Amino acid sequence: MTIEDGNKTETKQDNNKAVTALLSNIGRVFLDFLASTGRVALFLSQALSQGVRPPYYGHQILRQIWEIGYLSLPVVGLTALFTGMVLALQSYTGFSRFNAENVIANVVVLSMTRELGPVLAGLMVSGRIGAAMAAEIGTMRVTEQIDALTTLSTNPQKYLIAPRLLAGVTMLPLLVLVADSIGVFGGYVVSVYRLGFNPALYLKQTFDFMEVQDVTSGLIKAAFFGFIIALMGCYHGFNSRGGAQGVGKATTYAVVSSSILILITNYLLTSLLFEQG
Amino acid sequence: MTPKFSLKNLHKSFGHKHVLQGINLEIFTGESMVIIGGSGTGKSVLLKCLLGLIPADSGSLKMDGQEILKESMAQNEARLQDIGVLFQGSALFDSLSVWENVAFRLIYAQQMSRKQAKLIALQKLAAVGLSESVANLSPAEISGGMQRRVALARAIATQPHVLFFDEPTAGLDPIFSSVINDLIRGCVKELGATALTITHDMKSARAVGDRIAMLYDGKIIWCGPANEIDTCDNPYVQQFIHGSATGPIHLETELQHVA
Repeated sequence: MTIEDGNKTETKQDNNKAVTALLSNIGRVFLDFLASTGRVALFLSQALSQGVRPPYYGHQILRQIWEIGYLSLPVVGLTALFTGMVLALQSYTGFSRFNAENVIANVVVLSMTRELGPVLAGLMVSGRIGAAMAAEIGTMRVTEQIDALTTLSTNPQKYLIAPRLLAGVTMLPLLVLVADSIGVFGGYVVSVYRLGFNPALYLKQTFDFMEVQDVTSGLIKAAFFGFIIALMGCYHGFNSRGGAQGVGKATTYAVVSSSILILITNYLLTSLLFEQG
Repeated sequence: MTPKFSLKNLHKSFGHKHVLQGINLEIFTGESMVIIGGSGTGKSVLLKCLLGLIPADSGSLKMDGQEILKESMAQNEARLQDIGVLFQGSALFDSLSVWENVAFRLIYAQQMSRKQAKLIALQKLAAVGLSESVANLSPAEISGGMQRRVALARAIATQPHVLFFDEPTAGLDPIFSSVINDLIRGCVKELGATALTITHDMKSARAVGDRIAMLYDGKIIWCGPANEIDTCDNPYVQQFIHGSATGPIHLETELQHVA
């Protein structure tokens, strides 16, 4: 065997090792993903099975409704307002090239109700509420408050998780309804006061072309997003370990995982809800 | 006489870390048992096994003659109703006021009216030397020593027959430590409760314990009356109680797997 042959064999072996390492890494990531999915499913099933059984903690549900619903209004409202305004401006610049400025009202209302309202509200609430849930529950975990709950004859899943899931599922659609309205209003303000549209005509176009399904699809998406935000916030908080650093990680994971899941779910729901349309 | 708690050959591991390696111990009704041992020797793990918060791997763990290692969640919840726990860091709920913390089990587990529960909470706060003025404060607004007293009031609020104390004097100054020790002793006597305290504070161990057991290397290496610990001939115990750096106990620098 020549030196060149030997070098070739070595290179081939190195390549094989690299491919094996790559495949084993992919396999490990996939197995980790499956294990995580299983853990989340188990966590959810425990929370739901505990949540449906009495006693029900009304004050905890109301507190979460207040936190998720009422206290998120400013951030969701501002996001929707400026999104609607920018949408009107951008649509005007784009559509004026084709002399199609008159469809701006339709673009704003469809974009807001079908996509931007639920997705942006979901992402904003994920940052605000998902992080807060993970931080609060995570701190309770590392300071033994969750253990204390158990020893005080109170199931932590029932007391902490179920109310948040319920509030998430019910409050996000309401927030999105508000976001839709404010977003459309933002588009109206820019179109009428900056771009010189006729107010009555703008409103007529808005309501003429808007269908019930546009709004309901956004609300259905919002309910899913609310569920995802609450689930990820609670799951990562509940399973946080190792003091302040662990709580920090749980908060990051909660926001990142819920944001990604919102975007993936949004695509899946859009294809499902508008398959015929 | 059936012991209140009977632990036989109890094992618990976290991965390759074998924390409990065959614990044998009996705690009798009405006695105050103290388990001492260095940091990371598994005292808290043992306590959490007894509470059902961490499942033990093998062995036997009985309370009132009933095996509790394989109890269901509902059985565990029912058993915990007669147990009060004082956690190391007090573990008070930040979102609730001091009196709501004390009355937590009365309101949420026993469905007592808030008015009645508050009255009992105020009585318990008075029993641990806290005035009504702190009742409406949040836990963050009171000192660490006061938080520990509130946690003690919460533990005794429902007059349980079993009390667990996890490092009750950790992080407190000597005066507050003595106050907490006296309160623990008083509460245990008044309730006629069976108490288990885990600590590495020897002053506290002597003050609250009828019997003391020492945990080392995952096993109980010595157990006897509290007044005999100073004269026992176990070199591990002697090194521990005198806080000597030299002796058979090796200081380990392993990573702690479980808090």
